[in-house]
Parts: sequence; structure tokens; C-alpha cells
Amino acid sequence: MPIAVYVIIGVVVVLAIVFWVLYNGLVRLRNQVKNAWAQIDVQLKRRHDLIPNLVETVKGYMKFERETLEAVTKARNIALQASSAGAGERAKVEGELSSALARLLAVVERYPDLKANQNFLALQEELTSTENKISFSRQFYNDSVLRYNNQTQMVPSNIVASMTGFKPGEFFEVTVAAEREPVKVSFTQ
Amino acid sequence: MICPVCKYAMMVVEYHNIELDYCNSCKGVWFDSGELELLLKSQGLEEPKTFFAGISNSQEAASSEKKRKCPICGRKMKKTPIGGQPEILVDVCRDKHGLWFDGGEVTRLIRRLAEKHPPKHDSKEQVISFLEEVFEASG
Amino acid sequence: MWEQIRSNQIRSVVLTIGMGVLLILIGYFLGLAFDSVVAGLVIAILVWAILSLIGYFQGDSILLSMHGAKKIGPDDHPRLYNVVEEMKIASGLEKMPDIYIIDDPALNAFATGRDPNRASVAITSGLLQKLNRDELQGVIAHEISHIKNRDVLLMAMCSVLLGTIVILAYYGSRFLFFSGAGSRRSSSRGGGGGNIIILVVALVFMILAPIFAQLIYFAISRRREYLADASGALYTRYPEGLASALEKIGLSTGQLKAANKATAPMYIVNPFRGKSLQASDLTSTHPPLSERIRILRAMAGASFNEYDQAYRQVHGGGQGVIPAASLTAETVPVRTLRLEGETGELNEIQRARETSDVMWRLSNYKTIACNCGARLRVPPQFKQPQIKCPHCGRTHQV
Repeated sequence: MPIAVYVIIGVVVVLAIVFWVLYNGLVRLRNQVKNAWAQIDVQLKRRHDLIPNLVETVKGYMKFERETLEAVTKARNIALQASSAGAGERAKVEGELSSALARLLAVVERYPDLKANQNFLALQEELTSTENKISFSRQFYNDSVLRYNNQTQMVPSNIVASMTGFKPGEFFEVTVAAEREPVKVSFTQ
Repeated sequence: MICPVCKYAMMVVEYHNIELDYCNSCKGVWFDSGELELLLKSQGLEEPKTFFAGISNSQEAASSEKKRKCPICGRKMKKTPIGGQPEILVDVCRDKHGLWFDGGEVTRLIRRLAEKHPPKHDSKEQVISFLEEVFEASG
Repeated sequence: MWEQIRSNQIRSVVLTIGMGVLLILIGYFLGLAFDSVVAGLVIAILVWAILSLIGYFQGDSILLSMHGAKKIGPDDHPRLYNVVEEMKIASGLEKMPDIYIIDDPALNAFATGRDPNRASVAITSGLLQKLNRDELQGVIAHEISHIKNRDVLLMAMCSVLLGTIVILAYYGSRFLFFSGAGSRRSSSRGGGGGNIIILVVALVFMILAPIFAQLIYFAISRRREYLADASGALYTRYPEGLASALEKIGLSTGQLKAANKATAPMYIVNPFRGKSLQASDLTSTHPPLSERIRILRAMAGASFNEYDQAYRQVHGGGQGVIPAASLTAETVPVRTLRLEGETGELNEIQRARETSDVMWRLSNYKTIACNCGARLRVPPQFKQPQIKCPHCGRTHQV
């Protein structure tokens, strides 16, 4: 009789420990996804902040590119409004912004004065880097989501996940073809 | 950088994106090999390695001038003639850290410019004419 | 795939234990000279413990100050700072490492710091001016991988172990030699023979131990380098960046050696002899550059899997270098090429001036731009109120 009690207690304790380990593993992965998302968010905000500055610097030099400039400003405003949306929706509007920016930077090539402007050069480095940071943070975010989702779907942690309500994460997929690459701040496109 | 002659901290003169170390009291000039490389590359000339090899294969010139120590490694440099007429004795670091021109040597280079020698397209001449150009006013 | 750290650690631990055994043997043979094995062991362990403690708590700052490294912020060198931040993001490192520039024409970079949250990346001004943006990104990715894979502490501790073995063997062999010579003279005619044999064995061991330790050290670091290359390619999604940077570094060998006036005297007193302390140095640790370049260039994609395939291809089959646990069947596409020179990037001379601008500013030089186009950098020691431009003869107020 007491032996059976001990066995039951033992099994319960072992199960509790397994549950605890799996649960903590899931929480850790979910937090990593959250942090990775925050990182993307920071970089996207940074890009939104850089754009008015860029448009201002470029405006004086580019007399005949009104449409290109307006497209960038418009895409930025749309992206700004969607800044609390989910990963899928944001990826779409940010993708539009990226292609608008790429078109703008492509025409810079025609303005040698602009390319000699110190202010523009500094902005260009910031923009290149922000685009890189966006794609690197997206890269890390998607890797984190993949690992987290795998955990929520694999035995035995999927049991823990469904019991405690872990939902699979959403990938930050690029929908616009031009956005598959970080915008190359290259002037010969 | 410390001047190998008077031991003061040298100032730096940047001209056409090339930096030279210049001693404000003895007027001597240190031409660092990294900057030498940039100058020769921008002129599409030989690598400084070959430049130094050419210089260090030449005989140590007998001279009454005092030996200078390389401001980078502290080793005694080698006196060697550079340029056409009149010859100028420069100090070359044996570890290829750079070239040292005594104050008087720069002045003589600039006088030579006044005599209108046509500059040739050759590394040594390029170095000399760059120095002449930078230190126009100290002649 | 990010968890390659663990499985690789086992091998490293085994090798580190091997070095530990060498240390204990040295202590043992040293003890023979005192006629007390315990004393020898105590000395060996004590020296190692003290050096380890120093290495653990002060290693990074000793290393950085030994090289005269200067810490920079985002405004000092935006490109470098940005590239480090990009790689910090790509690797998922939590804290931004400190960034240092070493004023040295040699081409090198290293990472240091005892854990990922207290890490630093240092790069020489020579390398900074030689590399374009993609190459710089490759080098920084390699160094960040060392931090992320926790190589830095392991390699630092290994090099302390190596340093201890070198020091003990160096002094021990001299001590043994002189005490041996002395005891031969004073000992009685009977019992001297066995003693001498032990002394000879001890001496030979003292000479060989540092070489063995060095070999083990390289065996550990070699694998770490491959792994850091693989991680670097994965983070950047662009193996060619690192390959091309390594090529530039390889071409410069024999050109200029670290010749900084401030650090040269430090090397002489430094018991670690520079080399052994440089935990995750980009060049001094072993896999030949040409081989690393060939592997990177043979990669079909940017994943660990593809690095492993490229490694086996270059080695003509056989074992891979990436631990099986982190190999997945996936492929990761490489980022498309950017052509150098067409991207509005700075050229080498511009990068050289950008770098020296930072160095002069950090060394408190004053800059005077003369109207004739020359720029004068005045050292902080310069005390006169006026200075004459040597190009045009204008006088400037300092």
C-alpha cells in the first residue's frame, strides 16, 4: 500500500517537473519572439523618422521627381498608421515603403550635387544601415518564430502548449517582390 | 608621432587626402608608409613594397649626417639617396615604416622646383613632387 | 541550429583537460627539483589560479589597453557602429558590445570580454580603412559569432593556461638546469645517477610541454574559427564579404607588423607574449586563410549545412566541421551581390581619412582647415599660440 502511494507521488512529481521544464522552455521562446518583434519595431520606427529628413534634404536638389517623393511620403504615412497591426499586415505596408524608397534612391544617381552633399551622405549611411537592420531583425525574428512554432507543435511540448494556450507566432513575410532584398542604396539600378 | 630630431610631438599636414607628419621646429617631414601607399596607389604607381625594396637594395650612402631613429620602431634608419640632381639623402626605416626628410632636405627640394625640373612619372619623383607641392611655403 | 554551442563544448572541454594535465605534469617535474612534489603542484596551480583570476576579471581591459584601443561611440564612426549593431541584431545578441579602434596599420580584429553581455569588439585602423562595407560586415559578423558562441571566455582561459605552461616551463627549465648542475657537484657519488635521469626527463618535458600546449590550443581555436566563419556567413547571408576581407588580410602579410610606439614596450614585459592572450584573433589562430576563403567561396547558400558541405568539398570528403546537432536539412539563400565601386561607397583613401579623422579626434588633436586646402592637425602638446601653414604660409591662431 505505501509503495503504491510512493510510486504515484513519484510519477506526479516527475510529471510536474517535465511540465515545468517544457513550459519554461516555451515561455523563453515566446519571449524571444516578442523581443525580436520589438527589435523590428524599433528599426521600422527609425526608418519612419528618417524619411521626412531625407525628403527635406533631397527636395531642393530634385526638381523633377515630385511624384517619386510624394510616393515615399504617402507610403510612409500608410506604414505609420499600420504600426500597431499584426506582422502580416505590417510586412505588406512596410514592403511598399521599401520599394518607394528604392525608386527614390535609384533616381539620386542623376543628381551629382546631391551625392556630394555631406548631409545626404550621412543620411544615406543611416538609411542603408536601417534597411540592413530591418532585414537582419526580420531574419532573426523569423528564425525565432520558426523555433517557437516547432516547439508548440512537437510532442510532448505541444500538449503543454495547448493546455496553457500558447498560440503559434506569425512570420514577418515579405509580400512585395522588391522587398525580398534590403533596399540597396545603390545608385545604378 | 614624435620628431626623431627634436623629440617634439609633430603636427600633421593633410593635403589632397594624404597626411604627412611635420615638425614645426626643425621643419622635418615623416612620410609614413601607409600614406605613401595611398599616394602611389592614387597615382596608379608601383606598390610601396617594391618602392621600399628598390630603396633598401641601394647602398647605404656614406654621410656625415647624424643617424636618425625611426619614430615608429626606434631602430636606426638607413641613409639613402633619392631623386635626380641634386641628390638628396633621406632616412629610410629598415622595417619599411616610412621615410624621413630632414628640414634642410625639404627646402632643397623646393629650391629644385624653382629651377624647373620637369617631373617624371616615376614613384620617387612622385613622392618628391608631392612634398614640394605641400611645403611650398616653407622653402 | 543556433544551439551548436553545447555539442562543440565537449570536444573543447576534453582538449582543455589535456592542457590541464600538462600543467599538472609541469608542476610535478618542478616539484622534483624541490624534492617536494606537493610544492611543485601548489606553485603550478597557484600561478595558474592567479593568472586566471586576472584574465577573467581584467583580461579584456588589459588586452585593450595593451593595444592602445580607443572606445568609440555612434557619432565617431557611424559606419562601424552601424555594422556592429546590424550584426548584434542578426545574431540576437542582447547587449550591444563596446567598440574599440586600435591605431595600428596592421590588419586585424578581435573580440574579447568574459560573457556575451560584457563583450567588446576591436578593430585596427588599418583594417577599418582597407575594407568596404560588406567586408567589414563579414569581419564583424565573425567576431560577434565568437561572442555569441561563447568562444571568447573559453579561448581566454585556454590562453591563460597556455601562458602559465609557457612561463612555468621557461623558468622551471632554467631552475632545474641550474639546481641539477649544482646537485651533481654536491651529491655523493652513489645516488646521483637516477636523479640525473629524472632531471633530464624533466628538462625535456619542460621544453616539449609548451609546444604540446600550443598544439592543443590551436586544435581548440581552429574549430572555433571555422564555426565563427560559418556563423558569420549565416548572420550576414553573404559569405563573400568575409571571404574577400580575409583575402585582403592575407595579401598584406609580411607588410607591416604591429608597430605602435605606445604598445611596443608593453609587449616586452607582457608575460603572455601577446600571441597567447589574443583570444579570438582573426589571423593568429590557425586555419590557413586560403583554406577558409576557399570554403566560404564554395558555399552554395549561407546555412551551416552549406558551410559543412563546402568544408568537405574543399577537404575532398571526410568529416565535416559543424557539430551534427546544429545541422539541419535547410538551405539559406545568399543575399544578392552588390558590386563594389557602384554603390556610392567611399574608396580606400576616403576611408583612410575617415578613420584618421576619428583617431586624431580621439587623441585630442586640434584640426585647422586652411583656406589653401591643406588641413593641419595640431597635437595637444603644442603650446605656441600661432601656427603657420607650411603649404601657403598663412598664419592661424591655435
